[in-house]
Amino acid sequence: MSSHDGDMDDGTHWGVSKLLSRAAAADVRADHRLAVAVDDFFLPEDARLDERLRVALGGTLGALVAVVESTVRRHAMRLLATREAADLSAELDAGTPVYGRLASAGLLRDTELMRELVGRARQDVLADALPVDAPEDPDRASLLARLIQHPDGVVSSAAMAMLAAESRRRGEVEGVPTRTDLPAELHHRLVWWVAAALRERVAEPAETLPALDRALVEAALRSVAAHDEGDRLEAAAMRLAAALDAHADELAPLLVETIADRRPALFAALIAHALGIEHRDAREILLDPAADRLWLVLRALEVDRASIARIGLALSEADPRRDIDSFAEALDDIAATPAPDARAALAPLLLHPDYRSALLALARGGHA
Amino acid sequence: MNVSEPMLPPVRGLIDREGRLVEADKRLHELNARAGGGVGQPIAIPQVATLARLAQRLGILVSRGVVAADGDDDVELWVRAEPDARGVRLMITGWRTRAAWYPEATQGERDGDFLRSAGDWSWETDSALRITFLSINAGAKFGFDSAAMLGQPLTKLFALGEDREGAFPILGGLAMHQSFDDQRATIRATGRAVRLSAAPRTDASGAFAGFVGATHMIEDEAPAVAPPPEVPREGVSEAFALRLDRALRTPLGRIIANADSINAQSEGPLRQDYAEYAADIASAGRHLMGLVDDLVDLQAIERPDFAVAKEPVDLADVARRAAGLLAVRASEAQVWIDKPAPQDVLPAIGEFRRALQVLVNLIGNAVRYSPAEGMVWIRAEREDGIAAIIVADQGKGIAPADHERIFEKFERVDPREPGGSGLGLYIARRLARAMGGDVTVDSAPGQGARFVFTLPYGE
Repeated sequence: MSSHDGDMDDGTHWGVSKLLSRAAAADVRADHRLAVAVDDFFLPEDARLDERLRVALGGTLGALVAVVESTVRRHAMRLLATREAADLSAELDAGTPVYGRLASAGLLRDTELMRELVGRARQDVLADALPVDAPEDPDRASLLARLIQHPDGVVSSAAMAMLAAESRRRGEVEGVPTRTDLPAELHHRLVWWVAAALRERVAEPAETLPALDRALVEAALRSVAAHDEGDRLEAAAMRLAAALDAHADELAPLLVETIADRRPALFAALIAHALGIEHRDAREILLDPAADRLWLVLRALEVDRASIARIGLALSEADPRRDIDSFAEALDDIAATPAPDARAALAPLLLHPDYRSALLALARGGHA
Repeated sequence: MNVSEPMLPPVRGLIDREGRLVEADKRLHELNARAGGGVGQPIAIPQVATLARLAQRLGILVSRGVVAADGDDDVELWVRAEPDARGVRLMITGWRTRAAWYPEATQGERDGDFLRSAGDWSWETDSALRITFLSINAGAKFGFDSAAMLGQPLTKLFALGEDREGAFPILGGLAMHQSFDDQRATIRATGRAVRLSAAPRTDASGAFAGFVGATHMIEDEAPAVAPPPEVPREGVSEAFALRLDRALRTPLGRIIANADSINAQSEGPLRQDYAEYAADIASAGRHLMGLVDDLVDLQAIERPDFAVAKEPVDLADVARRAAGLLAVRASEAQVWIDKPAPQDVLPAIGEFRRALQVLVNLIGNAVRYSPAEGMVWIRAEREDGIAAIIVADQGKGIAPADHERIFEKFERVDPREPGGSGLGLYIARRLARAMGGDVTVDSAPGQGARFVFTLPYGE
């Protein structure tokens, strides 16, 4: 951080010394900026967020914090007002958004939260970038619209829930979020951070603090209780995948159409359901531009060459980091991989998720 | 946007397994030749070569929009490359020429973004017009169940109405895969009036994949319902004719103009049969345009308050003008028109415009039914208090039994002949009678037809 101590100088030559110290501080700042630029430049390209993703991520994170803040703050204010603490209530209303405070405290750097949000942002960007694919028969309704008409009520209601969840998620991208759509654990974490940051805003005498704490805790608990992670897009997609419960021979055309319909969340759900892994992991496999794991997954599910080619082509059109030429080169080998071999190679993926994350954490820490 | 382009038949070609262009329609062949290639040699358009190679390696159909250099211009192509036993089959549509500096073609997406930000809430459909996205807050805000509308036809959410000019913009948008604006509608659940606009989404081969649309709430305006139906009269209601006129005239005009310009090959050479298709499209368009004109006239003359002016006109002059209007058509059909001599004068009482319309119809029929190298005679005569123009042709004539039938609505001189709405003679006679005259026929099979248009003689 840069220093502004020089601004405090009020001697007779204040103008000169202020300029000098500002120049000195600028030197430090320039050095700091350069260091960041150097770091930024040498970040490996394939891991770096591109501009579009940064904007998407920033927008989502800001919006999620804002929606939690407004829910918790409003309810806490109402509680305080009814408890004749109107001053506190007014003070809670004023002040800058808590986002800056949470970010500067480093709380938002939370790995789990960022994993979820980066995955979500990449999934949204992919959905947007996937090539539009008009059906051969223009009068044939698209996949989800057809599934809504499905005679099996479980499928049709799951399809409707999935479309509704997607519309909600898109609404959030368009800047009017109504809920966080986060996994419960992350939602809870975010709510408590926001409540804590709101408390900091109020500079009241110590004796009023218990009333404030009570109001914030109640408001936070209310938000936690109201959150239903079953409403999440990912959960809705998983329910639809389970309702469809596609057989091996139905799965390939379904996967191809899901990509053609630009619904990566459903694609991830279909492979997650078929493999018995979590949506989060399937999504990560789908979004990884070095798609080797995806090809193994598709082979493990006995997806045929032409379907793999269609999926690979669509993903390459959507993401310039994916190299269509090396995919075309490798396609014969991919298609020739026996399904049992592919399944064996994916075995670690099928381990209990907590066990896997413990293994990963150990690996990150290096050898003892 | 040039509406004619999607109508052009696709250009086909075949690239063999070694990457050589072995078959090509004329247009592809010429583009390839201008890029320095030839049939039997490796294809010289790099973007198409890459695409074909990719399709072959992947073993699946690959569609992509490519921009290829063509002289000083770029040409935008939609290419479908499909591998088969002989190599890769190409099917190319689009062929839109654009300046070399033109930005990348994501116009549809961009239009969609603009739309979304302009409306109160947005929606999307698939190609079958099923709703695939709805702003989720819109339902709660404007009183309908958003979730229940997802996957349903767009018309379940909105009752579409006509705009102020009596048209349905969405139909035009759907037919031409274009943006539309100002589609009036009401939300079925609440009756609230809205205005819809949308941009099409198209895939890499230019096929329609759905609409990205915006809804604008209309404040303080009566719901945009259709006007109450008028008391039905015989024939065509006024509102219907008006709507027909407005809904059809503009698109037909565009279709005809574009088809004519394709036929004239004004934007570059075309295979002859394609140019001829365009001529067929133009002529079918003209036929429909004539039908619209006739229906609008029909509606006018069937109104109880229909009136014509009674003014002095020179019927010989009117006949010469009508003949002049048909000179081009006659010369195309290799028919000669013998019109009244310039010094002939035939004073009559009637309305100039309507008299001209009657004569254009009679002379037009005569030209249509004349054999090639035939002659159409137009004579001006006076009998007592009647001024008469006689139009005679050398066609196959009309049997006496049909002399009354041909003046009835939707009847034609020869039902086997193409063209004509079957309204022309009906309208001509109604107009003549409204002016105090008549149209009669005098003909026998094999002797040609002789139509007589009379008006009161004007001293």
